[in-house]
Order: sequence, then structure tokens, then C-alpha cells
Amino acid sequence: MDSVFFYRNPNPDASGNGPLGHLSIATQPNISIAGWPAEAGSHALAGYTALEDASVAARLRKKGANLCGATRMSEFGFGLKNSLAAQAVQKGDANAELVLDLAGECRLAALHEGLCGYKPSYGLVSRYGLIGLIPSMEACGIIARDCKTIRDILEAVAGPDEYDFSVPEDAPVSFSTQGIDPEKISLGVIEEARSALSDEDRVIFDARTQTLKKAGFTIKTLPFPDFSLFSLVHRIVGSVEASSCLGRYDSVRYGKRVPGAKNWNEMYLQSRGAAFGPLLKSYLFQGAYFQFEQFSGYEDACRIRARLLSEMEQLTTQADFLILPAVNSASIHAPNTTESLDDTYAKVFHTAFTNVTGQPAFYLPFEGNKGVQLAGPRLSDARLLALGEHIQNMQQRGQ
Amino acid sequence: MRFTERVFCGQLTPDHLGKTVQLAGWVDAYRDHGGLLFIHLRDRSGIIQIVVSPDVAQEDVCLRAATLRAEYCVAVAGEVRKRVNGTENPNIDTGSIEVMVSDLKILSESEALPFAISDKAMVAGAASAGAEQVAEDLRLQYRYLDIRRPSMRDNLMARHRIFQCVREFLDSKGFVEVETPVLTMSTPEGARDYLVPSRVHPQNFYALPQSPQLFKQLLMIGGMERYFQLARCFRDEDLRPNRQPEFTQLDLEASFIDEEFLYELIEELTVRMFAVGGIALPRPFARMTHAEAMEKTGSDRPDLRFGLHFVDVTNVFSRTNYSIFRQILQRGGCIKGINIKGQSESLSKNVLQNEYAREIAPSFGAKGMTWMRAEGGKLESNIVQYFSDQELDELKQRFDVQDGDVLIMVADPSYAVVTSALGHLRLHLADRLGLIPENCFYPVWITDFPLFEATDAGGVTSSHHPFTAPDRVDFDPKNIEELLSLRSRAYDLVMNGEELGGGSIRINNRDVQRKIFAALGLTEEEMKEKFGFFLRAFDFGAPPHGGLALGMDRTVSMILQTPSIREVIAFPKNRSAGCPLTGAPSEVKREQLAELGLLNLGGEETLPGDSHRENIVDRLSWVSRIGISEAERPVMEKVLSQASELSALARQRAGDMTPIHSAVPVTNRLRPGTQENRSPLAQSGQLLKTAPSIKGDYFKVTAVLE
Repeated sequence: MDSVFFYRNPNPDASGNGPLGHLSIATQPNISIAGWPAEAGSHALAGYTALEDASVAARLRKKGANLCGATRMSEFGFGLKNSLAAQAVQKGDANAELVLDLAGECRLAALHEGLCGYKPSYGLVSRYGLIGLIPSMEACGIIARDCKTIRDILEAVAGPDEYDFSVPEDAPVSFSTQGIDPEKISLGVIEEARSALSDEDRVIFDARTQTLKKAGFTIKTLPFPDFSLFSLVHRIVGSVEASSCLGRYDSVRYGKRVPGAKNWNEMYLQSRGAAFGPLLKSYLFQGAYFQFEQFSGYEDACRIRARLLSEMEQLTTQADFLILPAVNSASIHAPNTTESLDDTYAKVFHTAFTNVTGQPAFYLPFEGNKGVQLAGPRLSDARLLALGEHIQNMQQRGQ
Repeated sequence: MRFTERVFCGQLTPDHLGKTVQLAGWVDAYRDHGGLLFIHLRDRSGIIQIVVSPDVAQEDVCLRAATLRAEYCVAVAGEVRKRVNGTENPNIDTGSIEVMVSDLKILSESEALPFAISDKAMVAGAASAGAEQVAEDLRLQYRYLDIRRPSMRDNLMARHRIFQCVREFLDSKGFVEVETPVLTMSTPEGARDYLVPSRVHPQNFYALPQSPQLFKQLLMIGGMERYFQLARCFRDEDLRPNRQPEFTQLDLEASFIDEEFLYELIEELTVRMFAVGGIALPRPFARMTHAEAMEKTGSDRPDLRFGLHFVDVTNVFSRTNYSIFRQILQRGGCIKGINIKGQSESLSKNVLQNEYAREIAPSFGAKGMTWMRAEGGKLESNIVQYFSDQELDELKQRFDVQDGDVLIMVADPSYAVVTSALGHLRLHLADRLGLIPENCFYPVWITDFPLFEATDAGGVTSSHHPFTAPDRVDFDPKNIEELLSLRSRAYDLVMNGEELGGGSIRINNRDVQRKIFAALGLTEEEMKEKFGFFLRAFDFGAPPHGGLALGMDRTVSMILQTPSIREVIAFPKNRSAGCPLTGAPSEVKREQLAELGLLNLGGEETLPGDSHRENIVDRLSWVSRIGISEAERPVMEKVLSQASELSALARQRAGDMTPIHSAVPVTNRLRPGTQENRSPLAQSGQLLKTAPSIKGDYFKVTAVLE
């Protein structure tokens, strides 16, 4: 691929006015911006041009931000194969980038480039105008070099939207600076997340917690025996929602139609067969299996999800925030080889849980890609970002 | 009130003026003019306005009348009088008179209706509500109400009259109506049978007849000479818009006759049936051989109401430099085309290239379509430069080209592809360009069908059924090429592109019949097993005979010009082969299955024909409408085996909490201050802009649903 950008805005609309006037923000082509191609990385939307602005895009523009272009992305944002997310920010072509976080993609893309990657609480940022895949788990994430930029952008895009009923009417809209006193803050380490690391990764992770302990934070080890079930729940529920969600790509309203079909069913079969790439097709078949063959498996996963949510609520009363590794570095190999569902889910083992629960989480870089993941209770975004800012400042001071 | 003295609403005329009549029927509509009540009373014969006035009727009658609602069943008595000048209603036959009610009895009340039944306006000039807007499944669910509607009632009564006409005519010609069994053996029609399990013989099945074919031939051998039956037949085929799982056919057979007898008979019968609907058919009916029909229209049921006949231009291009044509001709192919006279204004380059050549022709199986438009004495197209002047001149001559004409041509190595694709294009163009005249009926006999068709396995199969007589009997049953050149003594009656029926002269010589079976590759054993009882009958002096079957639902539908055959059937199945009224087909109790010995049918073995459905990859590919290639199959198999493991794990760890479907409980909210409106994106046409194919204001899809 010759460029990080799938599409560049030929008429940069930076007014320079407004609180975000200094920011150039990249998006991905699954965020509708009127007149921009929005293929969401899929043949299912080949040639599709967005008709109106997503709420996030409209809000950013209103605050003066320059939407500079859309970067290349994986098919419907699932996994990071073929994704060049975060590279525009890394190369200085943009100050920030919006990346849909379905299972941790935003955070892991940031990790690859040593940047901050933030997934807000579910229901904080409107998804109206986003071309989604897993409606109950996905959130519009933000990648930037520093937490302050993320905070500014989040403040611009968060809050109720009459077009997205998953954003409650009382969703917070203020993210002003909050003082962080390390002495009064406890960080919980989920033991099962830590022990899933390779020895090498674990040494690095432990060094991070040591640094924070030295800075005055209280570090607590918390058991969560069911932690590995997050991945299971995500994989089952996500595939069912994806299969249902992508039902609309029928080569009637958008996308490409394979010519020569003799009847509707043939048209659907052929066009949809050609529309989806191998990874997504596997995911959709798995989803169809649970929808049409084994619906009880889906219901079981939803039962487990209920239990995990209540266990997580319990856990977050024992520590102010959670600190976890972001990835098992063994699971990351060359990003452009063929990926299976197993590979994809191995990569998001440490990140997908917040998509299941709707908690905010972000990747905070330490020495580039050897950073950590921080998470808080749902809608604790303001404090979580303040914590991130505090730690980043700490790093800059060389502590 | 005595029903013996009842007269029918629709039969009241000014002759009844001043007389007191007894009526009974349903309240079609009513209007209350402050104590003066106007009611449309409807029975099978029509509608009469009845008036309840306190000046004429007793108080108790007025009070009862005030409770009337639509579709109450009532009986009334009253005097017929002329309507006041200026209040006549030309929408109903009895519009000049009305009945002043003196007595009224409510026979039965009606609940609120699922849809409006009345389709006659009470006031002259007012719009009448049609039931056409009502969802068909709702109409079928309340078919008994639907039948009260005059248009359905008229359809059923016209159907009755057409059937009566058939019976009377055939009776006059010496035909005898004989019933044949419905519980029978599978017959060789080739469609799927409906099976009925036998309780007395567990795990044995009757088949419902696809037609009474064997029985009517046995009746001929039985010496009945002329037989007919309005027979109910059953075929378990995939549904098409105008197909029913059970249907009625006029089945007839006669001995000691030839084709001409049947043509004469059926033409006269068809003319009489269409006359019931006020349609005068021209006689004699045209005749066309199967080969000519294919050659000219690409269809064995040609619609001859319009021209657009094919012209073969294969030899125009025998030395062409145009490589696509040259390659096709080198492979033994052919090139045929149609001159669409004077339509160049309707068929722009854009329409021809982007719609027809790129989309429509490929959807009909053609690999491509060539078009040319005649302008200023020349042929123009995107590829005209590849042709020599001589070729273009020859084309102009062959197609008799004048300015404003449009030529389309299809070339393919396969004759079948060329004729089929061009045949579909012919119909598509005629429809699009409005070339089909209204109220025109063009009956045609299609004759000289091929007796056999080639099978993929290198053998032959019967085009109709194996009892059809061949045009000659001196053939070698082993010589495939010769077999394929045989014509049958079969004929189809086709009208306006629809096959109304067909039949043949049958084989009555057992040696010929054995030769046909041998040609089909059946051994002596197999013949015995399949048709033993039938062949045995031919050992006892079978007369020469032949016959025909006419699809009566389709014929009646065509005579009455209804949009679907369901409009002429009292209780039809819907498009999913179900009956919304009764709920058939339905599950049955296990005890019933046990009684029939069906519980463990097939045992552990996979049932025949079940293997496709058993393949989970194919099934999921189908239900989620995602095609997969053979190369992808192993990946999907692995995905599904993993999915089953995931499912097992989830079951193991499920616990007992209530399932949730989101991290945040979903609440419904209103958008205050907003009103329903058509999306501005739809209004401006922007929604359609990124669609793969559109037509006007609509998304365009493949024409056939199935």
C-alpha cells in the first residue's frame, strides 16, 4: 500500500477557530463524512460514498477541528489486518485519529506505534454514522500522542445524541482536569491477566507496576478466575452480532453486485460471497452457526456476560483503577499475514474484556510499545484520563 | 319472515315497483341521515339500497336498524319504490330503485372486520375502496370474508360458468366424466410427488396424482372411448408466483382419433370458454413447430402478440474480423438478433450498453450482447468499427433496417444459450417498450416436439413422458443421434406466452412402447418394476388414443384477466405453499406418526436426498446467503468445528444468570418535536446514488425472486 491514507480531504476545513482549531484529525473510512468514500475496508461497500456526517465528525468540525482524511483499515475494523491505523499520527500527518475499538483495535494500533489509544465507556460517544460490526461492544476510540489531546477530543464528541439511543441522556460531557494524588489511588492487577503473559513480558509488566508503586500508587493483586471467559463471550456474541449486522450488505443498496445471477437468492449468495474477506467470512459463518444451529450457545454466552459484568463491578470496588498488560507480545507477528479467528482473538486477549463490559480503557505507552493498559469503572473516563495524564507527566519528568 | 318468498337483491328491477319484497343478505354499507337510514344490502346477486324511515317502519324496526353495522346478516321486507330524482347510483345495477323497509330482522351480528369488504360506493361518483391494498395473506386468512367481496364472488361464479361450459360441451361431444383415484401410485410425470403414508401398510406410501395419465389411458384400453375429468392434481414443486401445489386440470382422452380431431375439439372448447369472459378468439388457431418457435422466439411457449422475431445472421459473419464473433463461430456457435423497429429514441446508447449489454443480457445467461442503432442510413454502435462495410450492409438487408431501428444480437457457441437469452430479451424489451397490445389473445399450437432430450450422462430422456407416440417407429433404440432427431406426436396449446395445456397421441403398440423404454435405457426388469401393470394392459388390444390436459386455474385466470391464479381459486395456498386460513400444513401428534410407523423412519441412516441439507457448511452458506468457494470450504469446516467447541465450553460455564445483550440496559426514548417525514436523502435521490443498480426511483434487483 502506497499511502497510510485511503482518502485525503482535498479541502481541509480547518477554520483555526474553536477549541480544536489547532488539531488535524484523521478518521477511518467506517466513519461517515458526507462526500467521503466510506468503504469500511470491505468490498461489501465498494464505491460507497457517505451521504451525511457521523455525529462525531459533525461535532469535531463544529469545534474547529480539521478532518484531514481517512486511513486504511481492516475489514469493518475487525482485527488489524491491513490496518494502517495510528501511522498518520506517528508520522505527524495528523494530531489524532478516530479508530473504532471492537475488541481492542484502537489500543493495539496505538501500541504498535507507541502512542496513546483510548476506548471510551460504552454509551459515552455517539455511534450514529459509524459503520459498525458489533453494536453492543464497539466504541469510537481515539489515538493521539498525549492524553490531553484525547481529553480535548473526547470532550468535543461525548454526550447525548438523539440519534443514538445507546448514549444515555445523562452521559457526562465534562472532562476538565482533575488532580491525581497517587497516595490516595489504588491500582488493581488482575492476576489471571498477568499470569497469561510470557516470562519476558511479565518482567516488563512487573517493572511498570513497580515504577507506579514507587510513585506512590497502591498496587493490589486481584483474582479474577473467570478472566479468560471474556474472550469466549466476545467471540460468540461478537460473531452473532456481526452476522446480524452485516445482513444489510446485499448488493442492493450498496456495494458491488456479481453480475449474471438468475434470481434473488443467487444474487445474494454470489454478491455476499464475493463481498467479505476470509477472516470476516469465518466470523460470519461462526455467527450464523450460533444464530441458526446453536442458539443456546449464544444465550449461554449472554448468561456468562451477565456474570462477568457483575464480577467486574465487584472487582472495581476493590481498587480505583485496573492496570493490565495490553498484549501478549508473542501473539503479535507480521501484521499482514493471513489471520485466523484464533490469531485475532489471541491478540485481543487482554483488551476485549472492556468491550464486553463497556468500561473505558486505554493503552499508555512506556518506551513505545512496552506500555500498559489502564481501565476504570464505566463512565469514569474523566478520572481515568486524568490518571493517564498524571503518569505521562511523571514519565516526562523522568520519574 | 319466510325465506321461500325471498327475492335476490341484484335481481330487483323497476318491474318490482310498488311490490313488497322479502330480502336477505349482508349490510354492505350504511349511512345515517339523522334517523333516516340508507343501507346497501348485498347478497350473491348484487346490491340494493334499502331505506329505514320512521315514517314507514315501526319504532322497534328503527331501533333495530340503528344497531346495524357492516356485514350484519339481516332479513328485511319492504316496498320497492323509485329513487328520488338525482339520487340514483349508477355504480350499482339496481341504482334507480330502493326498498322502503317495513320489517327487519337481524339474523346474525358481525364483529369489526379485518379489512373492508364493500367495494361499491354508496354515493355516485365517490371513490370505492378496493381490497387490492389488503395484504394477500390477510385476505387468505379471512378468505370467507374475501369471497363476500364482489370481485372474488364474480371470479368464482365465472369459474363455475366456464366449468359448466366445459362439461356441457364435452358431454355434447360424447365425452364421459369419470373420476380417477387420488390415492395412487407415483406416475412418471417427473415432478416431486406428494406422499400419503399408509397406516395399513406401515412405511408404504400412496402418491397424490400429478395427473391421471395412466388411468385415463387405462380407461381407453377399458373401452370408454371418450373420457374427461376436471381433475385435482398435485405437484410438490418449488413455488413460482403462478403455481399452486394443487391445481385443477381438464384432463381428457379419446380413442380412434388423430391430432386433427383434438385440435378441432380443443379449439372449439377454448373459444367457448373464452366467450364466457366476453373474449372472441380467432379460429383456426395458429400452428408452429417447436423448432420454428425456438428459432423465431427462443421459447417453446412463444408470445406472438408482438413481433420481434429472431433473424439468424450467423453466415453474415462467416469471414468476420471481429474476434469475438470469429471465435464463437469457430466453436460451431451461432448469432441471432432482433430488429426493434423505430425504438432508437427509447433505447439510448446508455440504456443499450449499460443496462442491456452489461446487466440484463448476462442475467439471462448471455455472455454478451451486441447492439447497433440505425441513424442517417448507417449502423452505429461502440463496436461498429470492427465490422466490414459488407457485413454491415448485409445486416441492414437481413434485418430490413431503417433509420430509428435498433438491432440487438447475441452470439454464443451454444444454440440453446443464444435462443434462451434472446428469447428473454425479446420479452423484456416488449414489456419495457409497451409493444404488447392489450386485450389481445393469440392462441397457437406448438407441435413436433423432440421426442427425446439428451442427458448429461450421454443417454436420452423423454421430453414429455415415455407414452408419447414418435413420428416414426423404424428407429434404432441404440442410436442416440437418431433418437435425438425423432419428433413426437405431442402438442401444446400456448396463449400469450403461457402454456395452457398440452397432450399427445399415445403409443398403443406394445413393441413400440418396449422400444421406447429400451431407448431410455430401461432393462426388461426395470420396465416391469416401474410400469408392469400398465404395460400388461397393452397386451389386451389397446386402441389408438390420445388426449390433452388443460390447466384450468391458469385458463380461467387468463379469461378473467386476474393478476394471479389465486384470484380464481376459492381457497388457494399462499406463496409459501401454506394455507393461512387453516394453518395447513401443520405438525401432527407423535401418536399419529407412531400409528403410521413413521417415527423411526430411516433409522440411523441418512435419508435419501438429505445429504445436501445435512452439510452444515452448505446450510449456513444458504441461510446467511454467503456463497463460498470449494477452496474456502475446509476453512469454514474448521470454523464450525471450533464454534461447536466454543458452544460446549459456554454451556459448561453458563451459570444461571439471566442473559444480557448489552453492557448498558437499553431504554426507548422519543425524539420530541420530530415528525415522521420522508428522508431528504431519499427525496433528493441521493440514497440511490451509491446503489449498484437502480431504475427510476427504485433499487433494481434480479427479476426473479426464486
